Amino acid sequence: MSAAPSTEPNAGPLLSVRGVHRSFGAGPSAVHALRDVSFDLAPGTMAALIGRSGSGKTTLLNVIGGLDRPDSGTVLVDGTDVTALDEDGLSRLRRDRVAYVFQTFGLIPVLSAAENVGAPLRLARVPAAERERRVELLLELVGLADHARQRPGELSGGQQQRVAIARALAASPRLLIADEPTGQLDAETGLSVMALLRGVVESEGVTALVSTHDPTMVALADRVIRIADGRLEGQLGEQAGGQDVT
Amino acid sequence: MLRLLARRARAQWPLLAALLAVAMVGPTLLGTCALLLTRTADRALEAAASQAAADRVDVTAFTVTVRGPDARSVADDTRGVLTSALSPFAVTTAARASSVMRWLPRPARATARGAGQATGSGGSGVPTETYLSAVEDLTARARLTAGRWPRAGTAGAGAAPPASPMEAVVLEPTARLLGLTPGSRVHLGAELSGEHAEGLDVIVVGVVRPLPGAGWERDPLAAAGFDLAYHDGRSVQPVHAYGPFIVDLADLLAGGSTVDRLEITAHPDLSAPTTRDLEAVAVAVLGADRRLAHVLGDRIQIERVASQLPSTLIAAHDQQRVTAAAVLTVAVLGVALTATALALAGRLTAGVRAEETALLSSLGVGRGQFAVTATVEAGALAVLATAVAVPASSALHAALTHLPPLAGAGLAARPAVTGVQVLAVACGALGLAALLVALSVRPASTGGDRRHRRELLARSGADLLLVAFAAVGWWQLRDQPTGSGSPADTVRVLAPALLLTAGSALALRPVWPTLRGADRLARRARGLVLPLAAFEAARRPQAIAAGLLIALACAAVTFGIGFDATWQRSQHDQADLSVGTDLALTLTAPPDAGQGAAVAAATGGAVSPATSRGIAVGQWLGAAGDAPRLVAVDTARAEDLLRGRLTDGRGWTDLGASLAPSTGVTGVPVPAGAALTLTGTATGAIPLTVTPRLMFQDATGLRTSCAGTPVPLDGRAHPLPTCATAAGLRLVAVSLPFAADTGQGNVGFGYSDSLEGGPGPFGASRVAVTLTVPGAPASAVSAPGSPWTATSVAPAPGQLAGPAVTLSGGPSGVRLKMTTGVELKGPPDAARTLVATAFPVPGPVPVAVSSRFAGQVGARPGSRLSLTVGLTAVPVRVTEVVPTVPSAPGAAAILADLDALSRALVVAGDLSFPVDAWWVGHPTRADAAARATALHLGPVITRASETARLSAGPLRAGLPAALRLLGPAAALLLLAGVLLHVTFDLRSRAIEVARLRGLGMTRREVRAVLLGQHVGILLPLLAAGAAVGGLATRVVAPLLVRSDTGAAPVPAALPVWPWTTEAVALALLLAACTLAVTLVIVVQARRVDAAHLRVTS
Repeated sequence: MSAAPSTEPNAGPLLSVRGVHRSFGAGPSAVHALRDVSFDLAPGTMAALIGRSGSGKTTLLNVIGGLDRPDSGTVLVDGTDVTALDEDGLSRLRRDRVAYVFQTFGLIPVLSAAENVGAPLRLARVPAAERERRVELLLELVGLADHARQRPGELSGGQQQRVAIARALAASPRLLIADEPTGQLDAETGLSVMALLRGVVESEGVTALVSTHDPTMVALADRVIRIADGRLEGQLGEQAGGQDVT
Repeated sequence: MLRLLARRARAQWPLLAALLAVAMVGPTLLGTCALLLTRTADRALEAAASQAAADRVDVTAFTVTVRGPDARSVADDTRGVLTSALSPFAVTTAARASSVMRWLPRPARATARGAGQATGSGGSGVPTETYLSAVEDLTARARLTAGRWPRAGTAGAGAAPPASPMEAVVLEPTARLLGLTPGSRVHLGAELSGEHAEGLDVIVVGVVRPLPGAGWERDPLAAAGFDLAYHDGRSVQPVHAYGPFIVDLADLLAGGSTVDRLEITAHPDLSAPTTRDLEAVAVAVLGADRRLAHVLGDRIQIERVASQLPSTLIAAHDQQRVTAAAVLTVAVLGVALTATALALAGRLTAGVRAEETALLSSLGVGRGQFAVTATVEAGALAVLATAVAVPASSALHAALTHLPPLAGAGLAARPAVTGVQVLAVACGALGLAALLVALSVRPASTGGDRRHRRELLARSGADLLLVAFAAVGWWQLRDQPTGSGSPADTVRVLAPALLLTAGSALALRPVWPTLRGADRLARRARGLVLPLAAFEAARRPQAIAAGLLIALACAAVTFGIGFDATWQRSQHDQADLSVGTDLALTLTAPPDAGQGAAVAAATGGAVSPATSRGIAVGQWLGAAGDAPRLVAVDTARAEDLLRGRLTDGRGWTDLGASLAPSTGVTGVPVPAGAALTLTGTATGAIPLTVTPRLMFQDATGLRTSCAGTPVPLDGRAHPLPTCATAAGLRLVAVSLPFAADTGQGNVGFGYSDSLEGGPGPFGASRVAVTLTVPGAPASAVSAPGSPWTATSVAPAPGQLAGPAVTLSGGPSGVRLKMTTGVELKGPPDAARTLVATAFPVPGPVPVAVSSRFAGQVGARPGSRLSLTVGLTAVPVRVTEVVPTVPSAPGAAAILADLDALSRALVVAGDLSFPVDAWWVGHPTRADAAARATALHLGPVITRASETARLSAGPLRAGLPAALRLLGPAAALLLLAGVLLHVTFDLRSRAIEVARLRGLGMTRREVRAVLLGQHVGILLPLLAAGAAVGGLATRVVAPLLVRSDTGAAPVPAALPVWPWTTEAVALALLLAACTLAVTLVIVVQARRVDAAHLRVTS
């Protein structure tokens, strides 16, 4: 159980990662996925997390999003220590402040595009009328207003990812985590998705941390965080808070 | 391939264990049913045989007219034939024999005048006759009131007359009338047969009183001890008969007397019979008659072997067949359910192995190899299922036999394995394995909505085809013959499973629209949990097999309960109508006056004499050997006495009241033992006599008649026999047949040559006869009630002019004076009988007739018919047609009021009272049946005992027992199906659950969504199943109920839907399913959370 961490927003970095270690297994065969990772992200920043496969990108995103717990170190999202939250606290965090966009889209198959987008709003018990307005707005934002009634199985990969982005934005999260959102898309579609992400970061004022291999994405990011063998290797753009990167 | 199978079995053992568990249920049920149909059925037959009443299994040989020298050998040979026929059972035999009539030269006190000599004439000039009898086990059949029992060994051998007088005992009336006491020596004259055996002497050593229920009704004089109007067949004129002189059987057989009747009854000891022995004995008994004829040859005139044993066994087989059909129905339903559950399990297994199959296919494994693999795996499962199901079914069967109703029927058995059981289990397991193979080698689905639509289309065709088959089945079931017969059994076995499956398949159709309706409602909701549950329930591609299994299992459970209740109710209804009243005591001998009081004291409640016998209606003797039945009882008390369901919930009160006379009979009270006297005068030149016959009525309505000896109308008072043998009797009728006294005995007018050729005028003679009832209160004269009426009896009633009767009272008692003018000339068959009755002359007797009777005779309300009751024609008028008559279910029968019927008989000159039984309504004593049985008046049957026989007898108990298997088996399969379906569903949706957690749903919310989804689907499916079960109970269950003979039940079965039991069963099903789903969800939701996303994404 955690000790009732603060969930109030503050004026500092939206995301603050400090000394995070995460390893799998034990003894000589242990795999050190993250080694003393520390960095900050300011509000409204779109950061690209890059690195080779197995470098620790997904593990880092999971730790930040509360899907995994670090062996040591802290992760503050909007001032909330994610590592100290219990299951319910993590659920509240994901419901209110952190949203995911997955490589496999993560849509609920039985729900239509509009219902998928509206799911976080239903969780937040937003009144139906307001929910519908917001869903309509978001679908227009991602260019899928005409596909509102279609289910994921009836949409293309790019369209599904757009729906996933719209759903991620539905509850107005403070932090958007996207794990290789264009990984299953062709180049052209991936580019449009990236552009969309860039656009919504700007329009919604959300902070985004996007892992990607896509150089186009890197180009669209405000910052680039490179990770190799579980360590941060360097950053471009804003200074990583409290840590010099070599 | 085998290595692959072994590895896969190790990896997927929980899945295979689940498949094995499901596959085991059907064969276990089959094995249990096989044991019920074989082991229990055989035991039931044996138990039924061992519990059967003696008269149902006894074998009796009748031989007629056995010459004296042959008597002993005939008896020995007859015993030998019977014993041989009943081999290997131990047999006890009992013989009863009576000789042909002999002259009785000098009855001591038989008549008031004179004494016949060599011709055997009594004082009245009427010939007197007597006979010898012998009864084995006499001491158990009669009570010695004076002297001692006769000893054997006093007779001579063969035709030679005995060296010394045979010892004999006589009945009390015989002793009284002939003035015999122990020590009396009586000479019996020559035989009245072609053999003309010489006279012989007997010495009376004792006086006995026959015990009731000891077979005395088969005595030539029915153990009355005398008959003053006995017709010996040698002349149309009656003679006086006395007897019997009861001697030892050996004496009779060795004494040279011609044996008129020799009756030997063999009773087999069936305490531990086997079915094979019973079958063999039944065949032997059927051939015993021919064998006896062959053995006895010309030593006898007529022989016959009679036994109800073969028909008892045939009836038992009929009942077995009816029960077997119901057990098979349950077995088929169980197999259908198991097949559905296995289809679901197979489909889920295929889903789990889809990736493996795709991989193997990509590696070049063909369908043939898949089929071989699946066959090996399914075969192994079948072997395992058989190995488990055989002992499981044995244990289940043994447990079932130790529970009611099988335990109560004496059918408890230890666990055992039989060949038929193993065969049934193995066949069931192999059949189900074949189903698994078929599912495994089915072409892999491509997925997607297009497939879903194709499935729906195919299903639409399948369920409609099922419905078509079911409709044919129902039609066949509805039109099955009302009589017994095997062709309908197949329909009865298959139709329920077909109808329930079709109904369940059809009932799935409205389930999905219902869920879609919930979906539409959920869209407007604000939250996510319940709407998402509704969306999932309505939109997820539905597993047809799971839905069908849930609906079918629920339908089977509810139908099983409903059918059981319907069947039980029908057994009650059949028992009610079959007995006709609460307690029926069928008399083996005519009742004595006052017997009703004894019955009433034993049972309490409303007691009435009753008639239930075959009759002739005009010239019609019935159809197919079934004589129309006459049922008569005190219908004024119909509500108390009559049982059986009438149509439209109508009671018997109104109907009974319409049949009963409007006024009762008061009569003249006669104190017990009163010495009645008769005084008569006749004005004509020819002296007249009258042989009075009096009819009394006791408090229960029983009427008994008492015949006096011929009384000359000479102006003197003549005492009558003591007729009032019980207290509380009332004189209700007097019959006075007049005859001319020529000095050569009483003769009818038309037959008397002396009348035609004799002196004097033969005109009318005015007669006045006064019957004095001493001790009767004078108030009886003015007592309210019907006035006395006098009438002249047909034929030729005009031969009596102006019959009249008056009642007067005085210090000497009540006098009944009857006057009439007797016309001495006229038709020779004229009755010339005056009947005075304490009721007016009735019109046609109002009767209600059964619909079958009405159909066969063409009768309708208002029809007038003539019934032949005994030898008397009784006019009746049909007032109503009823579905059936109590105690004569389904028969062509007539219901009448016994009082009204008796009145009609009396005014026709027939003072016999047609009574065959005592009926008791609402007996107040708990042990009424036992007490009534202890009266030894005849067999006793009650509604409760008949219901118990029909519903829980050895041959019937298998049906409710099998029905009680159906519910748990269906519930088990339902739970197994739900568990499998939910487990596989959640496993396949683990990533979806993780996504919900990723969206921020708590575990509790996720559980609520999953639970809501599955319960949301369960609810309409269970409701659909219950609706199908209810519909099947209403439409099918009554058609499945048959009587114990396999015929349609009478009255027709009514569907019963026990709301409380059904509601409890449904609640339990829902609770069990919800609990199972909850457990699976909790376990699965604990395993799956947002952390899954870090891997799966």
